[in-house]
Amino acid sequence: MAGKIFVKDLIKKYGDNTVLKGISTTIKDGEVVCIIGPSGSGKSTFLRCLNQLEEVNSGTIVIDDFDITDSQTDINQVRENIGMVFQHFNLFPHLTVRENITLAPQDLKGLTKSEANALADKLLDMVGLLDKAEVYPNSLSGGQKQRVAIARALAMKPNIMLFDEPTSALDPEMVGDVLNVMKKLAENGMTMVIVTHEMGFAKEVADRVIFTDGGEIVEEGTPEQVFNHPQHERTRSFLNKVLSV
Amino acid sequence: MKKTKLSLFFIMMVSLIISILATPQPVSAEKKQTYIIGTDITFAPFEFSDSQGKYVGIDMELLERISEINHVNFEIKPVGFNAAVQAVEAGQMDAVMAGMTITPEREKSFDFSDPYFQSGIQMAIAKDNHTIHSYKDLKNKVVAAKTGTESAEFIEKNKQTYGYKIKLYDTADVMYSVLNAGNVDAIFDDYPVIGYAVKQNKPLQLVTDYEKGGSYGFGVKKGTHPELLTMFNQGLKELKASGEYQEILDKYIEAPASTQDEQSLMGILKNNYPALLSGLLYTLLLTFVSIVIAFFIGVLFGLMSVSPSKLSRRIASIYVDIIRGIPLYVFALFIYLGIPNVTGLKLSPFVAGIITLSLNAGAYIAEIIRGGINAVPKGQMEAARSLGLPYRKTMKKIILPQAFKLMIPSFINQFVITLKDTSILSAIGILELLRSGQIIMARNLQTFNVLLIVSVMYLIVITALTKLSKKLETKVNANGR
Repeated sequence: MAGKIFVKDLIKKYGDNTVLKGISTTIKDGEVVCIIGPSGSGKSTFLRCLNQLEEVNSGTIVIDDFDITDSQTDINQVRENIGMVFQHFNLFPHLTVRENITLAPQDLKGLTKSEANALADKLLDMVGLLDKAEVYPNSLSGGQKQRVAIARALAMKPNIMLFDEPTSALDPEMVGDVLNVMKKLAENGMTMVIVTHEMGFAKEVADRVIFTDGGEIVEEGTPEQVFNHPQHERTRSFLNKVLSV
Repeated sequence: MKKTKLSLFFIMMVSLIISILATPQPVSAEKKQTYIIGTDITFAPFEFSDSQGKYVGIDMELLERISEINHVNFEIKPVGFNAAVQAVEAGQMDAVMAGMTITPEREKSFDFSDPYFQSGIQMAIAKDNHTIHSYKDLKNKVVAAKTGTESAEFIEKNKQTYGYKIKLYDTADVMYSVLNAGNVDAIFDDYPVIGYAVKQNKPLQLVTDYEKGGSYGFGVKKGTHPELLTMFNQGLKELKASGEYQEILDKYIEAPASTQDEQSLMGILKNNYPALLSGLLYTLLLTFVSIVIAFFIGVLFGLMSVSPSKLSRRIASIYVDIIRGIPLYVFALFIYLGIPNVTGLKLSPFVAGIITLSLNAGAYIAEIIRGGINAVPKGQMEAARSLGLPYRKTMKKIILPQAFKLMIPSFINQFVITLKDTSILSAIGILELLRSGQIIMARNLQTFNVLLIVSVMYLIVITALTKLSKKLETKVNANGR
């Protein structure tokens, strides 16, 4: 399985309010895409449509060869291949760090307990938290929680990772650790879609930057194009605001 | 608005199903092995429980002898006068024998035996009252009787003539207590009852003769069990001929005063602790059995109320609305008397009680579960689903374990509420703690002391169980988190 995403004419409404007004884009296997834009521009909603946490009103989303907007598709199976990391971590508070990671692979992939534990320890080692395996999430800092959340998503060995503002809820000194882990993933060829406000990170790591506003893709291109030579007035004014901070 | 319509529709459907299932009561003239006879909790000297908890009295002894003469079994159910009458009307019981006066009104729905006792009513005043010597002295005084009795009719009829005020009470024990307390000046009751009370050294005195009144009869639901009436009449005739009838009457109307201490707190406790403990045991049994059944009902409807399916949510909310909208007392009567009345299905009070409490607590537990699940942050469901876990698995492994922890205090609370609610079931004749207390009160008239004992028993048990649950809660919360 690879990690391609194909989106065509995606429309999402909340009641009368149209949040996504016909989004089309294609994300290649191994590509790292950062989505930027003002809040309320629909970027998180778009991300959540990609694994059907939000039902779409119309349009097509194909993940690899699965049309997930088709009700015949087993969405649970597709989700196994798409890891997701949330702004507020959403770790399971009643399970230890290790159990947070082993639950899904044991349950869905039939790993034995010792196989799952070995996998968890390997992932915890990768995010630098092997010593926290036995503790409960509430004793971790925000940055540590987010790294556990990444490890939990990786335990299903997905080909695609979705990040929904992964550093927005973190204290500034914690942001670096999380971004480093994400950088490592990008270098290893993971397909990544990242909704972020970290412009420096986007510049450095992204293959492509998508700027959304008002439920539409206004502009997209390499970081060099979007950040240094923005074509649209809306892009320029947004970048002026965020980069001058 | 839409919801109300749907609930109404639901209720109508249920009633329809019940009425389809209902079959007319068969008129059987065949002799049965065992007849169920309802009687009053306490109507001394006709029926009352002695300090061993055994039912004795004129009615009881007559029934016992008549059953021996006819070789049949009578199963006596002391459920209270009104409950017995309703149970016979509903076909739950076969007959009522409870010092029941034969009246034209009652003859519309009952067939009566030959009268077995000529009753009458009499006035009693407090022992230390020296101002009342006849009805004429009642001017501007307060006179009491029990609601719906011959005595009540009598004092109503003569109100103008003698110029007194009337107060009506539901139970004898309360009426005798207020006379003692001086809140009323005179009471009227059936003369054997008053005579028995005087013989029992109650602080009463009689200053007038009794008024001849109606006759007591043994009643069956109109059109049913003619063979039972024949047996009763035959037996009564034999007892009168042999002189046994008079012996039984003399035994009770001439009964010697009880020597047992039934006045002091300690004395009441000492004489009645087996009855009180057995009442408490019933209360606990009812609570535990009902709460366990309610838990399963609650989990089912609670899960339905958060399910993605709109139909499931609607069904769950209708169920909760129905239960919340009907007082528990009414609901208990509906289950015990209403449903058997149309279906012919006989329910024992205990089973009816369990059904009532389980359905009632089940609705509240469903609400607790719904609230607990909704209190788990939405992100938990999303995180689990994004890993590929299906809905049911997510519920089981992620949402419910967290929700249950949040629900523990509410569960404890519901448990205590259900335990308290069992006392309402005294109304359908279950011998739980309150009912056990009521029987003792009716005998010794020590309303304050008996209610004090009963209250303290509830208090101790509820406090102990609450403390225990709190400990359990702390323990559960210490694991994890």
